Amino acid sequence: MSKYHNFLKRPLSRREMLGICQGGFGALAFTSLFGALPMGCDRPKNLVSEPELYRGPHHLPKAKNVIFLYMDGGVSQVDSFDPKPRLAKENGEDPRKKFKVDATQFDNVGKILKSPWDFKQYGDCGMPVSELFPHIATCVDDLALIRSLTSKFPEHTNANYFLHTGSGIQGRPSMGSWMTYGLGSDNKNIPGYVVLDGGLIPPGGLDNFKNGFLPASYQASILKSGAEPVSNIAPKEGIPNLQEEKLRFIKEMDNSLIGKMGEVDAVESAISNYELAYKMQSSIPELTEFSEETKATKKLYGFDSDDPHTRGYAAQCLLARRLVERGVRFIELTCPNVGVDRWDQHNNLKDGHERNAHAVDQPIAGLLKDLKSRGMLEDTLVVWTGEFGRTPFAQGTNGRDHNPSACSMWLAGAGIKGGTTYGRTDEYGYRVIENEVTIHDLHATIMHLLGINHELLTFRFGGRDIRLTDVHGHVIKDILT
Amino acid sequence: MFRIVNRRLENVILTTVFLLATLSSCSDNKSYSEPLPENVDFNFHIRPILVQNCYLCHGPDPSGRKADLRLDTFEGATAALKEGGYAIVDGKPSSSQLVYRINHEDEDQIMPPPESNYKLTDREKALLEKWIDQGAEWKEHWAFIPPISSIKSSSKTTIDSLVNIQLENKQLVKSPEASKNSLIRRVSYLMTGLPPSPDDIENFISDNSPQAYEKMVDRYLNTDAYGERWARHWMDLVRYAETKGHEFDYSIVGAWRYRDYLIRAFNDDVPYNQLVKEHLAGDLLDSIRYNPESKIAESPIGTAFFAMAEGTHSPVDIKKDEADRIDNMIDVTSKTFQGLTVSCARCHDHKFDPILTADYYSMYGLMESTRFTPVAAEKTITTEKSVKEIEDLKVYMRNLISTKWDENTIAKNTISSEEKAATDTTYQIIGNFRNADLDGWKSNGTAFGNRTTLGDPILNSTSSKLLKLDEGRASSKLFSKGIFGSLQSQNFIIDQNFIGIKARGEKSIIRLVIDNFQLIQNPIYGELEMQVNNAQWKNYTIDVSPYKGHKAYIEILPGGYQRHAYQLPEEAYIEAEYAISYHSDWPAEVNSQSSFTAQIHQLNAQIKNGKLPTQFPGLKSAFDRSQRLAQNLISQSVFYGVTDGFGINSPVFIRGNHQELSEDKVQKSFLSALPKGGIPFNAKGSGRLQFANAILESENPLTSRVMVNRIWHHLFGRGIVETVDNFGLQGKLPSHPELLDYLAIKFQNENWSIKEMVRSIVLTDAFKRSTLRNDELLQLDPTNTYLASFPIRRLEAEAIRDGILVASESLNDSLYGPPVATYLTDFMQGRGRPSVSGPLNGNGRRSIYLEVRRNFLEPMMTTFDRPIPFSTFGKRDVTNVPSQSLIIMNDPFVAEQAEQMAKKLLTQNGLTFEEKITWIYIRSFSREPSTEELEDAKEFIALLEKLELQNESEGDDELNLWKQYCHSIFNLKEFIYLI
Repeated sequence: MSKYHNFLKRPLSRREMLGICQGGFGALAFTSLFGALPMGCDRPKNLVSEPELYRGPHHLPKAKNVIFLYMDGGVSQVDSFDPKPRLAKENGEDPRKKFKVDATQFDNVGKILKSPWDFKQYGDCGMPVSELFPHIATCVDDLALIRSLTSKFPEHTNANYFLHTGSGIQGRPSMGSWMTYGLGSDNKNIPGYVVLDGGLIPPGGLDNFKNGFLPASYQASILKSGAEPVSNIAPKEGIPNLQEEKLRFIKEMDNSLIGKMGEVDAVESAISNYELAYKMQSSIPELTEFSEETKATKKLYGFDSDDPHTRGYAAQCLLARRLVERGVRFIELTCPNVGVDRWDQHNNLKDGHERNAHAVDQPIAGLLKDLKSRGMLEDTLVVWTGEFGRTPFAQGTNGRDHNPSACSMWLAGAGIKGGTTYGRTDEYGYRVIENEVTIHDLHATIMHLLGINHELLTFRFGGRDIRLTDVHGHVIKDILT
Repeated sequence: MFRIVNRRLENVILTTVFLLATLSSCSDNKSYSEPLPENVDFNFHIRPILVQNCYLCHGPDPSGRKADLRLDTFEGATAALKEGGYAIVDGKPSSSQLVYRINHEDEDQIMPPPESNYKLTDREKALLEKWIDQGAEWKEHWAFIPPISSIKSSSKTTIDSLVNIQLENKQLVKSPEASKNSLIRRVSYLMTGLPPSPDDIENFISDNSPQAYEKMVDRYLNTDAYGERWARHWMDLVRYAETKGHEFDYSIVGAWRYRDYLIRAFNDDVPYNQLVKEHLAGDLLDSIRYNPESKIAESPIGTAFFAMAEGTHSPVDIKKDEADRIDNMIDVTSKTFQGLTVSCARCHDHKFDPILTADYYSMYGLMESTRFTPVAAEKTITTEKSVKEIEDLKVYMRNLISTKWDENTIAKNTISSEEKAATDTTYQIIGNFRNADLDGWKSNGTAFGNRTTLGDPILNSTSSKLLKLDEGRASSKLFSKGIFGSLQSQNFIIDQNFIGIKARGEKSIIRLVIDNFQLIQNPIYGELEMQVNNAQWKNYTIDVSPYKGHKAYIEILPGGYQRHAYQLPEEAYIEAEYAISYHSDWPAEVNSQSSFTAQIHQLNAQIKNGKLPTQFPGLKSAFDRSQRLAQNLISQSVFYGVTDGFGINSPVFIRGNHQELSEDKVQKSFLSALPKGGIPFNAKGSGRLQFANAILESENPLTSRVMVNRIWHHLFGRGIVETVDNFGLQGKLPSHPELLDYLAIKFQNENWSIKEMVRSIVLTDAFKRSTLRNDELLQLDPTNTYLASFPIRRLEAEAIRDGILVASESLNDSLYGPPVATYLTDFMQGRGRPSVSGPLNGNGRRSIYLEVRRNFLEPMMTTFDRPIPFSTFGKRDVTNVPSQSLIIMNDPFVAEQAEQMAKKLLTQNGLTFEEKITWIYIRSFSREPSTEELEDAKEFIALLEKLELQNESEGDDELNLWKQYCHSIFNLKEFIYLI
């Protein structure tokens, strides 16, 4: 680090600090609150003029961070975590003779299709997992499995927006934006909401990760592997110390401007942002520098796999852990591109699901084990889900279409009761028949674990105090410790 | 029973009295954050408390109302309570249950209840009490009372005097006038979005006449850049985008024509009421506004804003998709033009504003009766005139023929003139084009004209003899090929299995539009569009059995869609004889052929047999003239806009659920709480024109206020009403109510001239004040609400980028045209990504001309707070984040422009060091450097030189040096702030 490491002369004023908090990077004020006694629910009066006061935490949090493993395209529940023997029995029969079949995305309803994979029971809890996930299967005692997640949309884009923002239409803030809006980040040198681009940006594009009507500071930063992991993070000066000298000059000139015109909050925060930006230039590339990780750790994640996609996803998972270590609030991993277009197997289910599963299974298990052995799983929430499930009958002959009426997902880590199974589908795995969990419920639960009351975290837009959970959502208490 | 109630009441009253005694005794001693006003005003002091704390349960929405008590009307608040007593007894706080309950200590009794998480402050309680004591005067929400002004004769100083009243009341001392450099920079940026040129600065500085400022303002007001700046402001309101987002980010064809329309409109100072009309009903106006230069019809282009929404290509639930799309249109329309959030009433009556669910579904019907369609973009007065003349010529030609064929020459008609009765009941006719008329179908654009081909003469091209008379069919080449137009049926509810159309044509399509759904494609809806590419008559069939019960219309149009982008190839045409719906088999014969067809057959037979004269003097020349005129109509360019369909009234969707409909339908009308509201429109179509007229009613309290407030907002950085898109009860109160009303009235009196309004505001002293604020001001008015000084503002995303281009002298200031493709970084991935990236520097064009792709928004724009285009954003965020710093520090575009600027600098011959720095300062900060700054620059350059020497950098040392310096200059806060 050079002498410009602290090129801000004065200590931060209270107003500057607030400025930074509003900028979403620091949230220094909230850092001190975190882990301390709950701020209580004293909701301030003048909500319109002081929306920032409405934020969390509202109660003692269980989780500090969230790692969201997004299984883009929709994993088939009956082939992964929700075994249905009846499908084998009735394989090849006409589903319309068995139950009412809803309209589907491709309108190409085939016969009932049994799972190509066997299920076995694992762990003390005896949770059945299919052959697709031999590694995750060894972690079942840490998982709370939900077999009853539903969505409202059978189309990818709407379902993606719904899962990410609580609304099926473009433009609402992403859940990661809400979390950082509510809690800030614990690290002011790294953004609070990071998306690790594993290769595939989900349908609906970057808007899945946008801030919507929240200030732009709460949008996700996209991290890619490669020389410039974050947009514009690498200085282009080419000469050592040149950028530092320029920044020093800039700071001096800016300070003399402040001297001339008196204190102006906005301009002062803009000046201090250069400090943060400068620090990010070194803190971000350092993140992706894995040399300090042991061989054993890397092996655990699957760095030595023959499958390049496994190796790629392993790096993303390890990076996620490193981000958690640095206090990043919300991390989402998108899917690797294994060449069959995500989990969206409208045909060749067997090949496609196997390739996807192979890419993510070992890295995810590695991540869970690594977090656990470091004691980090206690305050890190890991969420694994797609945007919807798939049909128990075939699309064509060997694929499965979208099914928003039932989806299996799991959570692990902070505040989660491991080895639990919650919710039930019918004998075909087509519809939820017990303990339906909506996307709103999922959001409410994630927020709850982070210490946020989902009904209290609001933002005034278009004349309404809008929540991530709209007017819905219940915390799923049964899966919590 | 009676006794018990009575005793309870007695208790209540006793407690109240006691409580009030204690309360009033301490309230006198209490010091509130602000002392209580002498006269408590309902709108300014009381309603905000009620809205914020009470209306969720005691507001206008009956569905969530508790205890049958409503506090949004005087009648409701003073009505007898169920449990006895009155919430409010005017003049008597001690008898008012409201006062009792807000002061209660018992958790079960206190209002608002603890679980609501609302809590009144002591000051709020005291205000409520004092207001009741003063008689509880009730007023309508301020924004629904038409503007009134006591100003009789307005002058140049009126605005200032209204600002000054507040300053004097608050005893705030005004900051002095800003320096001339600051002023020209401020005016130039705020009026045009660009920094002033060095020449302009010099002219202004050296002009010592008293009119110097006014002259400078007028100069900027009349540059083309003014329109570019104000058009972009407007684009934020209408969620301007050039693609539809969703999965594949399909194009919104011709969106840029709407952008150009706006630029022209602002530059030509088209009156605001005209703009409103054109947006809402530009396709329906009796008198269309044409561009004075290009002669194209401007008015219809305004409607393109309706078509700017997101679009889903394969929604499984097509009706829900329509509901969501219409919701977005209602949202944007009501916020933009009325500052009201009507879409809050989708599921229940508005929780705060007097907007009913019925109002929402009345607007819903209006939107549902509106159809999305390509619209001919280059229609001119000539087009209109040519069509008219061709039609006259056709009448003339038919007359020419028929007068010569008097009755005697025509063989007796052997066919009964009675139409054959349709005995076959296995089918229904949706459209029959074998007669002269289009059977009630809508002909949009020009292609299909307003009648069929029936009876049109067909001539031998060499002998110009009449060969025959044409039979009846709807034809897109009625005039010629290459003309845009479509033919649309009325709405019908699908109740049979098949739709059939007998048609022929080339490279054209027939579409079935169900629930207004346009993005027809596989996997689900592919069959709803049929390619017609055969010159022989064929029967085209769509299986619509999955869609029974849905509303639909048939659309026939030449050309087709490539990835949802409409294209009209030169050779494309389509013709149709009839359209039917049927249950199982195409009927053997479709009846109800008119006697006309038979007559035509007979006549043609007679012509063939030589029994009728076939030479008509004048026929050939008339025919040729009509052919020539038809050439004027040829134009393939379109934009996506709207056209009027057939009027539909919508039922209410119970709790917003499109599958649960009310029995009664809501007639289309204007918002019931506003003047002219609630009166059903007697329009056959959508009623958009009536809606626009209601918005422009002189008594409408919102239209003018909302717009002048937007103008004020753009000039001062904050509206008089801060919530520029929400004038409802949850919006902010005006900081200068009299000023707002004065401006609103002035705006209307001055023929809704936006330029005149901008000019009046920019010429005020308030606008000219320095941004300097002393400690006293900081303390007394920390948010600068009362404008004792000019607010410091960060430039918008576009102004920052454009400012860099101007500074580096790389700005390409050409106007208009298709957008410059988005520059794609590695971070911009996902479906629908264009195969080719646009140029890094956007060809030097102003930011308004850079493509707005919903799924690939330009990072520099969004990082500097350009809103994501999904709803109305009259007020942008101004965030402060490190990613902004990173862009100016490290983005290749900024670095490239720094180099560009350095190059330009070095082409200036014979500049001294000081002159070089001055050259840069004038372009970057609109001022000259101080001596101190020159010293700093010298020192810094020396340091840079040293670093370069140490590192033997490649390339031109001198250039590198200045590049680094210019790059540093771009990074100074003064570059992106208006100081």
